[in-house]
Amino acid sequence: MITPGRALAIVGLLAIAVWPLAVQDVFLQRVGALVLLAAISASAWNLLGGYAGQVSVGHALYFGIGAYAGLVVYTEWGWPPIAGAPLGVAVSATLAIVVGLPTFRLRGHYFSMATIAAAELARILAANWPLLGAAVGLMGPPRPRTIADLSFTSPVPYHYLFLAVLLALLGLTALMQRSRMGYYLAAIRGGDRAARSLGVPVLRYKLYALLLSASFTSIAGTLYAVMVGFVDPDSVLGILVSVKMIIIAALGGAGTLYGPLVGATILIPLEETTNALLGGGGTGITYIIYGAIIVFVARFQPGGVAALWRHAAAWRARRAARGTHAA
Amino acid sequence: MLLDADDIAMVFGGFRAVDGASLSVEEGGIIGLIGPNGAGKSTFFNCLAGDLLPTEGRIRFAGSDVTRATPEAHARLGMARTFQVPVTFEDMSVADNVMVGAFLRHRHRAAARRAADEVLAFTGLDRLADSRAGSLGTPGRKRLEIARALATEPKLLLLDEALAGLTPAEIRTAIELVRRIKARGITIVIVEHIVEVILTLAERAVVFHQGKVIAHGAPREVVEDPAVVAAYLGHHMKRMRQ
Repeated sequence: MITPGRALAIVGLLAIAVWPLAVQDVFLQRVGALVLLAAISASAWNLLGGYAGQVSVGHALYFGIGAYAGLVVYTEWGWPPIAGAPLGVAVSATLAIVVGLPTFRLRGHYFSMATIAAAELARILAANWPLLGAAVGLMGPPRPRTIADLSFTSPVPYHYLFLAVLLALLGLTALMQRSRMGYYLAAIRGGDRAARSLGVPVLRYKLYALLLSASFTSIAGTLYAVMVGFVDPDSVLGILVSVKMIIIAALGGAGTLYGPLVGATILIPLEETTNALLGGGGTGITYIIYGAIIVFVARFQPGGVAALWRHAAAWRARRAARGTHAA
Repeated sequence: MLLDADDIAMVFGGFRAVDGASLSVEEGGIIGLIGPNGAGKSTFFNCLAGDLLPTEGRIRFAGSDVTRATPEAHARLGMARTFQVPVTFEDMSVADNVMVGAFLRHRHRAAARRAADEVLAFTGLDRLADSRAGSLGTPGRKRLEIARALATEPKLLLLDEALAGLTPAEIRTAIELVRRIKARGITIVIVEHIVEVILTLAERAVVFHQGKVIAHGAPREVVEDPAVVAAYLGHHMKRMRQ
């Protein structure tokens, strides 16, 4: 059935699909690709932070592992960076279990703080580890050797690569949402104690959500490294990487399928425009925007843009009901 | 015996909230746990449900030792419960709350949906199925907790003060629901501090006082027991009666 929500989703995804062909400006094309990349990592965060309600502020850990994995396979073995994706996923999944088992016993703010600690530990480790280029970081191939390096001057190929990954992730999320796992994650978000009393193996499902979430965050990190061709500890493991995922998901609507994509569509153009207008000296403005968004979402609409849409749908339903009543 | 709790003690620091209490529950029937506030009923109840690990004693349920089993293992074995203060999943619809319970026995969504619909109709919540659980009042939430617990298809249902805070009319409909649950062959243990509820509902009553079981038997006889009267009214009142 074509509901207004589904129609909007189809129109939105079509607009995203034709965007780089419709605009010829390289800056706008690049913004489009960055929106999709941010949407991938925020959607991955959303699996754990949104659906299961376990607010991780340390997802930079997995993003950074994916990004470093992409460039380490190049610097060590000369492989194309994208070949680092499976390595990043394997390391991220292993660390997810190591970090998840002890921290999932913590609740609320304590869980969030423990995830920050894990990511900061990784950042400090990377900044002192020669294999990872220490504080200087790692560079990708200076010029493309083969097509497998996925090194393009135009943002358009990246746009379609990111779109394919995002669609796969959203498809998987939609399937999960309708399955037992989707209900169990929502129950965990509603309250551990009640969920367990109904037979939900809470720890096991939190780990499932984290494994999925960490794996896709790691893939987003590898894609970032492939496109940007350079990583250093602050740009991929810094706390702002984690905070950005949360802000994007919360702005669009945490725990909803399209929320992170909507949030990325708002935040990334804003951020890129201020950076472009104000130049290098204007990067501080980004933090002011982040702060302002946190305050506004928390104060006025904790459900994000998705909640505004739901309110509008409820209003339409009420109006329709009144209409039939009068007739 | 469906449930056998033997010599349970629960110690918090130096305080023995439950102090050597035993309870045996046969299949079928409704058993009431009563006692004044602070008698240790709820603590004992949480030991039975696996929410608290008792300091001493053993609990057997449906043929397995569940003393150290997790709450989710209890649910799988067929023990369901409600909470003294309802903890429904506020952001989910009433139907989806019940679906969470139904998924325990039904792996697939369509089968879980059918089971949930049946429970919603049985508990009279079908008209509210699409409402947000957080929009319900206390009676609705208590009923939803019972529905969610029934959806796990339990052998034994533990009700923790399921009638507290309800008006007399709401208590009557709740009592009627508990009777219909019993008629489905589900054994019920109900904790209540309103003695009248136990008198009308339970076939057997167990009285708690200061962490111990001080009387058990038919409800009418139990409430006449001098020790029970003393526990509820205090020794002062007992002397006045004499």
